[in-house]
Amino acid sequence: MVHIHDHDAEPYRFSINDHLDLLIEVLKRLDGRSLGAAACVCRKWCAIARNDSLWEHLCFRHVSPPPVGVRPVVSALGGYRRLYMVCVRPVLSRLKRRRIGGESEVVRRVWSQHEVELSLSLFCVEYYERLLVGGGRVAGDSPASSSLKFLCMPVNV
Amino acid sequence: MGPYDSSISPAAGSSNSSSSACSSSTKPPPPDQMDHLLAGAGYKVRSNDLNQVAERLQHLETVMVKSSPVDISELVNDAVYYNPTDLVSWVDSLLTELNTNVTVPEPVPVNTDLSDLHQFPSDMNVYGSNHAPEMHGEFSQQAVTPLEEDISIRLVHVLMTCAEAVQRGDLPLASLLIDDLQALLGRVNSGCGIGKVGSFFVDALSQRVVNSPQNGVVQVELSAYENEILYHHYYEACPYLKFAHFTANQAILEAFDGQDCVHVIDFNLMQGLQWPALIQALALRPGGQPLLRLTGIGPPSNDGRDSLREIGLKLAELARSVNVRFAFRGVAASRLDDVKPWMLQVSPKEAVAVNSIMQLHKLLGPGGPHGPPIDLVLDWIRDLNPRILMVVEQESNHNQPEFLDRFTESLYYYSTMFDSLDACTAQPEKSLSELYIQREICNVVCCEGSARVERHEPLVRWRGRLTSAGFAPLHLGSNAFKQARMLLTLFSAEGYSVEENEGCLTLGWHSRSLIAASAWQSIPKPSPATTGG
Repeated sequence: MVHIHDHDAEPYRFSINDHLDLLIEVLKRLDGRSLGAAACVCRKWCAIARNDSLWEHLCFRHVSPPPVGVRPVVSALGGYRRLYMVCVRPVLSRLKRRRIGGESEVVRRVWSQHEVELSLSLFCVEYYERLLVGGGRVAGDSPASSSLKFLCMPVNV
Repeated sequence: MGPYDSSISPAAGSSNSSSSACSSSTKPPPPDQMDHLLAGAGYKVRSNDLNQVAERLQHLETVMVKSSPVDISELVNDAVYYNPTDLVSWVDSLLTELNTNVTVPEPVPVNTDLSDLHQFPSDMNVYGSNHAPEMHGEFSQQAVTPLEEDISIRLVHVLMTCAEAVQRGDLPLASLLIDDLQALLGRVNSGCGIGKVGSFFVDALSQRVVNSPQNGVVQVELSAYENEILYHHYYEACPYLKFAHFTANQAILEAFDGQDCVHVIDFNLMQGLQWPALIQALALRPGGQPLLRLTGIGPPSNDGRDSLREIGLKLAELARSVNVRFAFRGVAASRLDDVKPWMLQVSPKEAVAVNSIMQLHKLLGPGGPHGPPIDLVLDWIRDLNPRILMVVEQESNHNQPEFLDRFTESLYYYSTMFDSLDACTAQPEKSLSELYIQREICNVVCCEGSARVERHEPLVRWRGRLTSAGFAPLHLGSNAFKQARMLLTLFSAEGYSVEENEGCLTLGWHSRSLIAASAWQSIPKPSPATTGG
């Protein structure tokens, strides 16, 4: 008799780490905070979650129409992950808070062209200021973007 | 007579007096006992007597209101009895004429506490200043107690009186008033509101009074590096410079549409904070990237470093990262009218944009042998035939010939600006921005002649000036407006507002515009051949 019930009894183990394309599809749909948390799970996830194309997707998936030719510029200025952390997240939360007036629900909103352009401009200024600090022209400010500090200041509710 | 008759005196010259109310003493009260505020208006009253004078005036008012016209007809028909600068005896004489019982109040304990002044009758508003009500609204932004509000109002009044004394040349009075002001400042919250901006104005006035009231002082020059630090922190703390840069960039971008060789001339390079955004916008331009030349004008650096070249290198590095062909040239000049057009090396094939962020007003000072500097500079700008001349200026008139007018206007303007700065909490940005603004205040108040460079003029005057110099207005489009509005929503303070004004944009705090941006293009000069013989 062939004993095959052992194989049947074993539970089928599915490991997402064996299916990285699925993992990426899932990560693509997360919000920024969750994506950041995902990067803390393990080294493999960290490497994947830090992939800039995921953050590019996060930055612009709600932009209509999608911006063209932006990638080389953003990469040169520090990458999409930095763009999200430094500009997109604060800008979005500030604009969202203005619209709703203090409620904390996450709202899926479509960026306008102007908001994208403004974020990119602010990002560029921030990159330039890091250049200035690097050359010692700005008196020892913290590496955290000084030009965009105003975005991090609490909003008067 | 009242119990204080020994202290009152008719002023010299009151000859036709009926003697009933005349006192025998002829000395006016010594200056240090006089109330300086009223002295500024021409009335000589002892500070100690103010309460009693107030009560008697109230009494007089009651009597006059109650009297029938017949009773007071004598007052109407007769000439002035006494020199009204001697307020006390004048009031007494009127009361006596009306044959009322002058009920003398028990002498109240003399209270030199200034807080009693809020009992002063409101019709004693001898200044009739039109500015006071407006400023009252501005200063009451914080939640202040009625007492603090009164001190604030008094502070403003004393500031005005002192400025007027300075204008008249009455230095002793001005010095006394400054002492008063220092005392008042000690009683106000100097961390915000009128206390803070008031202290800057008091400093400036006292510098002027002490040093050289008519010729003005010369401000200590900061090094280029120090200037850049202050400027950078002012850039961070409030949106005025960001608004200027972003609006200018948007207008320049639109003017350069379709051009392959573009040349921007910046009248004040500083750290070049305006240009990264333009470089990035050109990098993403749908029609392809142009060749960008930037000529930056700045003061020569006296510490051995070539700061213009350093900034140029940084900007070139950024341009290289985003693949924009870029060339930089620095022109070192301490004054704009020292710049000659050949230094800018403009080629006829390229599209030129001239960018002046708060620089043109410095040319409104006294002219040299060749004429007013502003006309010379506007003339060679026109010769360059720029596609766009971008002008951003402070929206206020600090260039009036009379000192008091300048003082009043700048007090209002900078109070509004400090109000808006209150919302910023980041240090050291806030303190250094205040220092930056303080230097402007000092220049407007203390300096004269060619040392006074902060000669701000409002948009209407710049419109007239630029139109007569041969420029036509360009309307800033809706893109610039939307961008400016969006930029403002990112700032935490809610009081900023952007307005559109005949194609120009102004940024203000609540209802007061503080900075105005306008765009111009040059009308080509008529060629000599077309003029009729």
